[in-house]
Amino acid sequence: MSAPEQGNGAAPAWAKAAANQSRLAFGLAVTELARRDERVVAVSADTLDLIGLRGFIEHAPAHVIDVGIAEQNAMGVAAGLATTGLRPFVCGYAPFITARSMEQVRNEVAYADQRVVIGAAASGVSLAVSGGTHHALEDLALMRSFPNMTVVVPADAHEAYNATLATDEIEGPVYLRLGGRVPEPAVTPVDAPFSVGRATRLAEGADVTVVACGALVAPALDAAAELAKQGIGARVLNMSTIKPLDEDAILAAAEETRGIVTAEEHHLTGGLGGAVAELLAVRRPAPMRMVGMPDEFACVGPTDRIRARYGMSAKHIAAACLELMG
Amino acid sequence: MSNREALLRALSAHALDIRRNTWRALRAAGAGHMGGSLSAADLLAALYFHYLRLRPAEPDWPERDRFVLSKGHANPALGAALAQAGFVDDGFLDTFYAYESLFGMHPDIKVPGVEMCTGALGHGLSVALGMALGSRVQGKDWRTVAMLGDGELQEGSNWEAAMAAAHLAPLRLTAIVDYNKVQQSGHVSEMLGLEPLADKWRAFGWRVSECDGHDMAEIVDALDALPVAPDRPSLLIAHTVKGKGASFAEDTHLWHNNAVSEEVYEKAMAELEGPA
Repeated sequence: MSAPEQGNGAAPAWAKAAANQSRLAFGLAVTELARRDERVVAVSADTLDLIGLRGFIEHAPAHVIDVGIAEQNAMGVAAGLATTGLRPFVCGYAPFITARSMEQVRNEVAYADQRVVIGAAASGVSLAVSGGTHHALEDLALMRSFPNMTVVVPADAHEAYNATLATDEIEGPVYLRLGGRVPEPAVTPVDAPFSVGRATRLAEGADVTVVACGALVAPALDAAAELAKQGIGARVLNMSTIKPLDEDAILAAAEETRGIVTAEEHHLTGGLGGAVAELLAVRRPAPMRMVGMPDEFACVGPTDRIRARYGMSAKHIAAACLELMG
Repeated sequence: MSNREALLRALSAHALDIRRNTWRALRAAGAGHMGGSLSAADLLAALYFHYLRLRPAEPDWPERDRFVLSKGHANPALGAALAQAGFVDDGFLDTFYAYESLFGMHPDIKVPGVEMCTGALGHGLSVALGMALGSRVQGKDWRTVAMLGDGELQEGSNWEAAMAAAHLAPLRLTAIVDYNKVQQSGHVSEMLGLEPLADKWRAFGWRVSECDGHDMAEIVDALDALPVAPDRPSLLIAHTVKGKGASFAEDTHLWHNNAVSEEVYEKAMAELEGPA
């Protein structure tokens, strides 16, 4: 798989600073939004460097509030800030800023419908050797279940930056799932405007469709390239918004190809695969296979080996496509 | 009559009305949290009719003081204060628990004058801290007050907020503890004691004062003396009695949240006669 075109000129400064890390791209985009709009504030739970907020602190120190290692308080503070007309971005480690503060997310953010953007870094199994206490493989299921919540899973640093800028147009709560300190190959253009709720087609194919998000978009493209060698055309949809789901793109894929394989670094229950299955079951039943984390906790190890062991690799996506096609 | 006497008399009358209106709402619903509503009635009267700078006709007035009822189960008393202040129509009080009503067991941000959906305990102080930070970030001078229950201080999230507020000070932030000493299953001291409560807050970096939460003169003096000190957030411990004003319901967990029959309503209202 080759990196996408970088446009005509050199990569922008933010892209160099982000170094292909979606978590840093998020912080840089928040900083850019802060330069444009003095209502932007950041709430951090001892995650200033994880998220890359030092530039924001330089720009407007009073607008970056770190509440320490206290995610419940971080979420409540963010909601309180939002009620005063400010536009808070609350950041933390995905496993903690979701599960630890889930009641605050439900009540003060989702139920009270406050415009809080949650930036959740180190999602999936990116905190590999940290073990199951630090893996976030249920966050999409949790966040997707709350009314009012928009759920976005950027596929790379470029999309993380552009999606974060695009949250400016959303007036309700947003969950942005970000990567950790592991390589995130670029799969989207550096300068592509992000449309919330719109999937992008990264590969064309008429035989089968892979609907992927986040860290499994790059493997999905690799799988499509491998299938192409066997004469199989795999369409690849980057489903970077899980909620609201791009129903038209999924229904079209179900109509135009022989079936759908979903791919995500998340438990098989309740995430992207669940969302697609819920849609198809009701609107247009179609053959489906789901690639993701089975119903168990991952072992300790390097992220790429965990992904391979639990079935979240290009090889597994290609195999699922072949199985689906019989 | 001096201005102060007139003020205290007016606030006491408001407090009496809050208690009456609390029972009125509970009667409409057939049930509700009387204990924690009645203990907070005098404090709410002093807040809504003396301390807080609010514009009931313009509930979203950007410069308004913010009030967060963290102990959201005292919503009947809050609803009474909001109705008496003119944020909502008087008839709002008769919709407590009604189908599709915005006046449920716990405050709803969609009600004019309500700043946050609360009632899941241990959440309000963090939200209030966010509001106080919002004031400072925007260079405003509104004040933020959170009312906390004593039982809810058993939730650890309060102490995250307390630690952060002291660290992030100076802020225009006050927390009031409605210290009625009783929670759902019994006396707080028997369930999970809080003492030494004032020392705990001092240790967390707050400046603490205390008052009798049913003595209007003491309440007014305590509120007028805020902040306790300008450098740190203020904590006002208001010593109260659960179920205050209904002799049968005072100082017992048995009247935390109960059914309210016509007989109970009449009995309660008979004890709430106005001044001669």
